[in-house]
Amino acid sequence: MIPLRLQSRSSLAQAAALAISAIIMMVPAYALPVMHLGIAGQTTSDTTILSGILQLWREGLGGLAAIVFTASFLVPVLKLAGLACLLAAAWRKPGTHSHLLTRVYGAVDFIGRWSMLDVFLVAFLSGAVRFGKLASVQPRPGILAFGAVVVLTMLATHRFDPRFLWADSPPPASGRDDAAIQMATTPPTLP
Amino acid sequence: MNTEDSNVQCPLCGQSHRAPFLKPGQRALCIRCGTTVAERGRLGPDAALAFALTALVLAIPSFLLPFVTLTKFGNERTVLLSGGVEGLWLHGFGPLAVLVLVCGILAPLGLLALLVAVLWTDTSENPGELNATLRRWAHGVEHWAMPEVQILGVMVAFFKLGAVVEVAVGPGLWCYGAASLFTLLAWRRFNLQTRHERARSMLTVASS
Ligand SMILES: [Zn+2]
Repeated sequence: MIPLRLQSRSSLAQAAALAISAIIMMVPAYALPVMHLGIAGQTTSDTTILSGILQLWREGLGGLAAIVFTASFLVPVLKLAGLACLLAAAWRKPGTHSHLLTRVYGAVDFIGRWSMLDVFLVAFLSGAVRFGKLASVQPRPGILAFGAVVVLTMLATHRFDPRFLWADSPPPASGRDDAAIQMATTPPTLP
Repeated sequence: MNTEDSNVQCPLCGQSHRAPFLKPGQRALCIRCGTTVAERGRLGPDAALAFALTALVLAIPSFLLPFVTLTKFGNERTVLLSGGVEGLWLHGFGPLAVLVLVCGILAPLGLLALLVAVLWTDTSENPGELNATLRRWAHGVEHWAMPEVQILGVMVAFFKLGAVVEVAVGPGLWCYGAASLFTLLAWRRFNLQTRHERARSMLTVASS
């Protein structure tokens, strides 16, 4: 078996490469239109991810605008920022701030999937709204770039091995593999 | 007895622990990083399998029944769950259609099939190599199964369409929602079940 240290060095480099590709793809993802809505008798318009959110806000759907803003902007940006922190920390000095960084990894892994929201939204609209000239929705290239951001970020997260954060810190207690587990009755209060 | 499987390994820091005896409602935390590594459900050891089978049964009508019905000036269109994949594909967005197909339909179905297979074959003290492989696959597939995100996407679409066309929820969408809820429940039970709890399963008792 490859030692964790060596295995993780190369997987860290791969994770970094994937994360950088995702950051680059963010430019077209947010700059290009993601869909086109055509309605009879109205001027047709292309929407970007951010203009779509603004539109919801103007229509008085503030709560919904907040959800979409979180899933489509905050989550991808925070996830890549969190991943960058993890990669930098693991690369320079593994074994420090392990507790905090493990929490960051857990959060990044958990929230990541919600950024697929916009892809599902555009897919559903382009499949459902097909009334010819009366009303139609067409996908635009921005959504392809956004899908690439989501996939690249997920691949980067999976490539990152969180055990690397603990590489230099010895296991607590006796250091034996059969360390006893802590018990907590629900509802638990995490330390 | 397979030593690797009788241990509980923390998914985050890799620390292994002796599989704990838990009382119903108790959970076990990793001694190093504090992540929940095991939990004894209140519903009994076969809850995960029951949830997965329920989700699998609900998945069938969610593909076949109308997902959503839209009306514009008297023109009615009924869309199935696969409508989004179809829409992207027809507009020449092939790779994205595949991504939506995988995350919204294939991965959730694959995960359920794997869960049922793992739980069904995990009947002896030493579940063997095949069971371990299926378990690894289930963990790999789970990352890409996002039915709950697809549901939120469709909800947002309803509000966006409110002014443009009339939308009615079909039975397919209700089944899809219920299936994805049971998938989440099955996955959680499956993931945090210890070997001691699995050993109490009806399946184990029946086969030993
Ligand atoms: Zn741990």
